[in-house]
Amino acid sequence: MTIWWLLLILAAIGSAGIAFIWLAVRIGSAGPAGKNLAESHQDAADRDIEHLFNADFREELRNRGRLHFEKIIGENAMFLQQDLRLTTSELNEYMKTEITTKLKEEFGKYEQSIMDAKQLAVESIQKTNTAIDEQRKLLSQQVQQEILAEKEETIRRFEANMGDIVNHYVLAAIGNQIDLNDQLEYILGELETNKKAIVEDIRSGA
Amino acid sequence: MAHSSTTSKPPAPVLPVIVTGMADVGRLIRELELIDNTLLQLGLRTGGSEVKMPKTSRLMDQVIHDNRLNLLQQADRAVLRQFLATIKQQSPVLHMSFSTDPPPRFLETLVTWLRREIHPAALLNIGLQPNIGAGCILRTTNKQFDFSLRQDFQKKRDLLLSQLAAPTAKPPAPASAKGTP
Repeated sequence: MTIWWLLLILAAIGSAGIAFIWLAVRIGSAGPAGKNLAESHQDAADRDIEHLFNADFREELRNRGRLHFEKIIGENAMFLQQDLRLTTSELNEYMKTEITTKLKEEFGKYEQSIMDAKQLAVESIQKTNTAIDEQRKLLSQQVQQEILAEKEETIRRFEANMGDIVNHYVLAAIGNQIDLNDQLEYILGELETNKKAIVEDIRSGA
Repeated sequence: MAHSSTTSKPPAPVLPVIVTGMADVGRLIRELELIDNTLLQLGLRTGGSEVKMPKTSRLMDQVIHDNRLNLLQQADRAVLRQFLATIKQQSPVLHMSFSTDPPPRFLETLVTWLRREIHPAALLNIGLQPNIGAGCILRTTNKQFDFSLRQDFQKKRDLLLSQLAAPTAKPPAPASAKGTP
């Protein structure tokens, strides 16, 4: 938007300069008076052309025209310079204002974007923390369940095989110190307990 | 080898406790056959030839002593042969497994109890199962009796569980653990 405005102003200035130059050339080529004066001058020139428009007079007119043209050119140049300075100053002010406004807007947008990104990051972190907490709780529950199941399984296996475990432990601890003679009383007691079944089995035969 | 044959012989031959298993019975039968053959050869040979008598084993000596037999007498040999054949064919055979090889004294006590309480001519085969640990496993014709320490612990599982449930409580007196090794 600023570039277009600048181009438009420059184009206006250029057009004004071209119009001024064209006007100056036109005035210079048209002569100092209107059509009637020119006709009278033409008639006078026709009458006494050599007397009125001698070389000095023409030189004087030429000098006057040159001076007038230079004066007009100088004035217009001054006006143009003033306009140009004013336009440049306004343009600078406008550019400064526009740039400042744009920068403020951009900084505002940038700050808003940063704030939005920050908010998003904070929300994301909070969501992540929430998810991690949930996962941790879930994992903790699963681990607790696994530990409980493993514990129950270990206890179940221990209870199921308790005889073997205790037997293994006893044999490992004092197995070498158990003599068969020491077991005789126990074995005879067990035989006595099962004597009836043994006798019945022997009597029944194969 | 020859014991004095008296008029008061035992009514029925008995099996010494040192004769424990079927292998001992077979060994006695072979030894008796050897004696029979030797004495037969002695009767067939003419005078002057020397016949070396076989030396009886400790088992045979014990059998002869307990039954008051004279193996020089054919009738006694016949009685013993018949007795051993009957033992081999009809005696109940039990199989007991221990963790180690049982000493002879232990075996004699066990066989004595078996022949007194179970059957007077019961034979016992001994096996080894080192994984038994303590106790024994008895196998009869159709059944198996596990008298091992492991089985005893299995039977007393509830007691173990109760002790585990209350580890600080004072354990009760093992009323049923009579003679537990």
